Amino acid sequence: MSLRVLNPNAEVLNKSAALHMNINAAKGLQDVLKTNLGPKGTIKMLVGGAGDIKLTKDGNTLLKEMQIQNPTAIMIARTAVAQDDTSGDGTTSTVLFIGELMKQAERCIDEGTHPRFLVDGFDVAKRATLEFLEKFKTPVIMGDEPDREILKMIARTTLRTKLYEGLADQLTDIVVNAVLCIRKPDEPIDLFMVEIMHMRHKFDVDTRLVEGLVLDHGSRHPDMKRRAENCYILTCNVSLEYEKSEINAGFFYSSADQREKMVSAERRQVDERVKRIIELKNKVCAGSDKNFVVINQKGIDPPSLDLLSRAGIIALRRAKRRNMERLVLACGGEAVNSVDDLTEDCLGWAGLVYEHVLGEEKYTFVENVKNPRSCTILIKGPNDHTIAQIKDAVRDGLRSVKNTVEDEAVVLGAGAFEVAAKKHLIDNVKKTVKGRAQLGVEAFAEALLVIPKTLAQNSGLDTQDVIVSLQNEHDRGLVVGLNHHSGEPIDPQMEGIFDNYSVKRQIINSGPIISSQLLLVDEVIRAGRNMRKPT
Amino acid sequence: MREVVTVQVGGFANYVGSHFWNFQDELLGLADDPGADPVFKTAALDMDVLYRSGETHQGVPTFCPRLVSVGPRGSLGSLSSSGNLGQSSAAADQINVVTWSGNVTRSVSKPHGRNLFLQSLVEEAQSPSTSNDGNNSLKNVEDKNLIECLENGVNFWTDYSKVQYHPQSLYELHGSWTDFDKFDNYGSAQQVVSEWSQIEEMNERLRFFVEECDHIQGIQFIVDDSGGFSSVAAQFLENIADDYTNTPVLLYCVRDPVTLGSSRNQRESITRSLHDAVSFSKLSSFCNLMVPIGPPSLSRSYMSPFLHIQDEKPFHSSAICAAAIHSVTVPFRLQRMGPSSDLAHSSGYLDIGELVHLLSDQGRQNMVTTLDVAMPAPSLTDRDAMGNIVMKLHSLTPEISDQDEDPYSVESLVVHGALDRGGQRTSISQVKDSICSAYEGRETKPKFSHLAVSLCPLPIPLPFPSIFRSNIGRHGEILSNHPEGAQPKGSLDIESIPMVTRLRSSSVILPFIERRSGSLQKHGVARGAIGSQVLRDWGFGREEVEDMGEHLAKLLLPFHPEMDLTSDSD
Repeated sequence: MSLRVLNPNAEVLNKSAALHMNINAAKGLQDVLKTNLGPKGTIKMLVGGAGDIKLTKDGNTLLKEMQIQNPTAIMIARTAVAQDDTSGDGTTSTVLFIGELMKQAERCIDEGTHPRFLVDGFDVAKRATLEFLEKFKTPVIMGDEPDREILKMIARTTLRTKLYEGLADQLTDIVVNAVLCIRKPDEPIDLFMVEIMHMRHKFDVDTRLVEGLVLDHGSRHPDMKRRAENCYILTCNVSLEYEKSEINAGFFYSSADQREKMVSAERRQVDERVKRIIELKNKVCAGSDKNFVVINQKGIDPPSLDLLSRAGIIALRRAKRRNMERLVLACGGEAVNSVDDLTEDCLGWAGLVYEHVLGEEKYTFVENVKNPRSCTILIKGPNDHTIAQIKDAVRDGLRSVKNTVEDEAVVLGAGAFEVAAKKHLIDNVKKTVKGRAQLGVEAFAEALLVIPKTLAQNSGLDTQDVIVSLQNEHDRGLVVGLNHHSGEPIDPQMEGIFDNYSVKRQIINSGPIISSQLLLVDEVIRAGRNMRKPT
Repeated sequence: MREVVTVQVGGFANYVGSHFWNFQDELLGLADDPGADPVFKTAALDMDVLYRSGETHQGVPTFCPRLVSVGPRGSLGSLSSSGNLGQSSAAADQINVVTWSGNVTRSVSKPHGRNLFLQSLVEEAQSPSTSNDGNNSLKNVEDKNLIECLENGVNFWTDYSKVQYHPQSLYELHGSWTDFDKFDNYGSAQQVVSEWSQIEEMNERLRFFVEECDHIQGIQFIVDDSGGFSSVAAQFLENIADDYTNTPVLLYCVRDPVTLGSSRNQRESITRSLHDAVSFSKLSSFCNLMVPIGPPSLSRSYMSPFLHIQDEKPFHSSAICAAAIHSVTVPFRLQRMGPSSDLAHSSGYLDIGELVHLLSDQGRQNMVTTLDVAMPAPSLTDRDAMGNIVMKLHSLTPEISDQDEDPYSVESLVVHGALDRGGQRTSISQVKDSICSAYEGRETKPKFSHLAVSLCPLPIPLPFPSIFRSNIGRHGEILSNHPEGAQPKGSLDIESIPMVTRLRSSSVILPFIERRSGSLQKHGVARGAIGSQVLRDWGFGREEVEDMGEHLAKLLLPFHPEMDLTSDSD
């Protein structure tokens, strides 16, 4: 071959070897993630070389933690992770689905079918399944007051696959309330407006939703109050520290006296800014028991803190950039970049501001706000890996609620959709396809069942029994899913098991694309230096 | 007190940093040790500048470096990312998974073994009382073993670190399916940082340390710019420039001599030179003063009469860089003088802002400086060597010109722990006098020279590599009569050494910048250049490349004042 001439070191894998390499990679990845799926899956504890622990049941996290070397597996993993980036869930399902498509395809190919036909069949089946999904989905009307129950159900379904039931149920309310809190009608939901803060303290069940904001720092002055009620909140991005202004960089002084004067002149500018803030405080708080809190993105140096403290103001410096936005949404008012035109309208309001100290870590709670449009989920746990795992679960929960609000639809879960879609493909779609592409449709339909099968397997049930009984029910026209406790068919609607519409759609969309690409590979060439790593 | 926050990004930067913090730890120990040379107590540097005090959850007080270290995942060896020497992985079996009631699979990777040195640290921590008394000769033998074990194998920068890090300090960069061994050019890191908001996490870590500073004087940033980490650092620096507008950033670009090895083919060498150009352009645009460090070979450098360095060991070469950086930071930690008082043990306080202003705003307005070092420093009062102190300085900055005569150069000289001919410490005024007379003897004098002097020499901690030749004495004096060909000396034979370093902004750096600017023009910007595809792969559009080219040209401007007018016309 010409390549051999060009580069004698190149290795070429021909048709069937190339195909089987791809298929094996897909199956291998499927095997790794299989046990993750569902509420009966296995949690993985990864212990690193230095003894640090990572707990995860999330396919996405696991894929990222794995040191995958095989190029095909990396392709699949990238697809699956992209799935997570766009829709927030479904990584494991994507990998399983791709693996199963490859497995089914392998069977056909071994019997002599050309991959091309399969790919054509996949394409037909994919479109048909997407159409079916449109019909199958359960519309949810959001309106002004979303149906809290359905949101709870979907959040619970997601969380229960990541955390034990008690904790999952507790977090369900938290994530639903958080998303509803930040939701604005007719605008996409920005989940960044939910701050996720953690404390290594107490237990996982102490996790709670704070309507308001928790900052991970406190005031830096010993005399400032640690707790204040009825507070005006000034959110600002103004430097309150003395620094050499750059304009004066070329300014030289010839005596100590001159230097002192220069320094004091610059100091005065800072003091001036602090005085503006104090003036405002005196204006709005005069004669009442109201308090005043300054939260600044820039620094505040000790002399300024001193002035503020003497005026009875609580001041925090170097707040997170994103908290500026969150604070305004939580407390009202606006973030000011200069102290020149301060008015009462710039100020936000919080019923309670207090500091919580854990060792050297300080937290400031800004609570009891009016009409919050931003909130904080405060995760507590006894150790870092527990916190990290809850955090991952909370993220997934938030995404699922957000998806539901934006999709205005949900899909029945517990494998009900997959079984129904398979039936639809076999009964209705297959007939419309001519020739050997039918095999592709069939393979696709079969591959869909990987989800209920794996759910059954992870629950320790007999896969075939379960699939047969589910299919029987569907043949009788009932839409049922799998009860992972008993293995009996159940009605997901009654049980409140729902999946995200967009997640399902994405899985059905991306799975066949990548499988088709892999199936159509008929030659693998290893020539680059990078590929020659012995694995 | 004015705080400095340190940031280390990349493999070799952490090697350097580890040595740097070992010096600091040694200084802290010596200041408290009644048996140590009293100079460490009387002329102590202000450690609060670099360190922060805090306490753990249990209320145990801690004193940790104000540091954010970023490295690839798995580069911490046996140190856990929370800064502790991790609990043994066997403990993982006993851990209950409280968040899941179902099955648990444990996947335990092979624990990184601790070398002898780390083991001895753990033992010491467990039984602190036994370390002082006991058999002295036995301890000596043990120490010898420790040193030998470090000489024979250092796989991670944590292998020789004796410092307690803060849990917020160590950040491991995750790259899904990125092979950090091949993290060798600017493009390879572009995605890694943006993935799962890693840059935000890095910002948060830094904010933690900055928030508690009352008067931050600046950020010192050490980056390994030989590979993809320069892109990580550039994005980090960009964020720093946004968030801490008026905080000066002093950037050291360090390189392992080995990474500069010859390239295999033309394509690779073009990629390399483009990487150098791009990373130089990007990094220099987000810092206030840049110090490139990393001579192609330390073993064959001018230092070889005194030092025996094996280039292939990052453990060795990083020690030199760390010593130089330590010296540069000395002026930031001296006591601030009143206008008239003159302290007996130090003079020449300078903060980072002043240093930046001094070197980059005066004279040539050039922000890329060279770092020269004399390690160990020659004795200052040596009559024959008089005036030679400046000649004895050798540059750690690569690719500079030999032409030393620049009347516009500006420099900052740091002398600490200098000795006279008899091996006695020279006083501050003696150092000042000899430096002054050294300059008076020269034809071209620098336009401005700042001198900082401290009596406190560079301490040599136990895990310092054995790189001194046998002609170095116990306190770093240069011996005239010494046995030939003996074993290199290490920390057991040498307690401390005097150091002289110099940061200099002058025209010697010109070839360094010109080469980068040239290769960007030749391989990237020029029509039909071979490298333009490479740059596209790295995610740079045509305009961006041109901007970088312009930025580099701007850096050259100070050296060609006559060009100023022509380029401003459009």
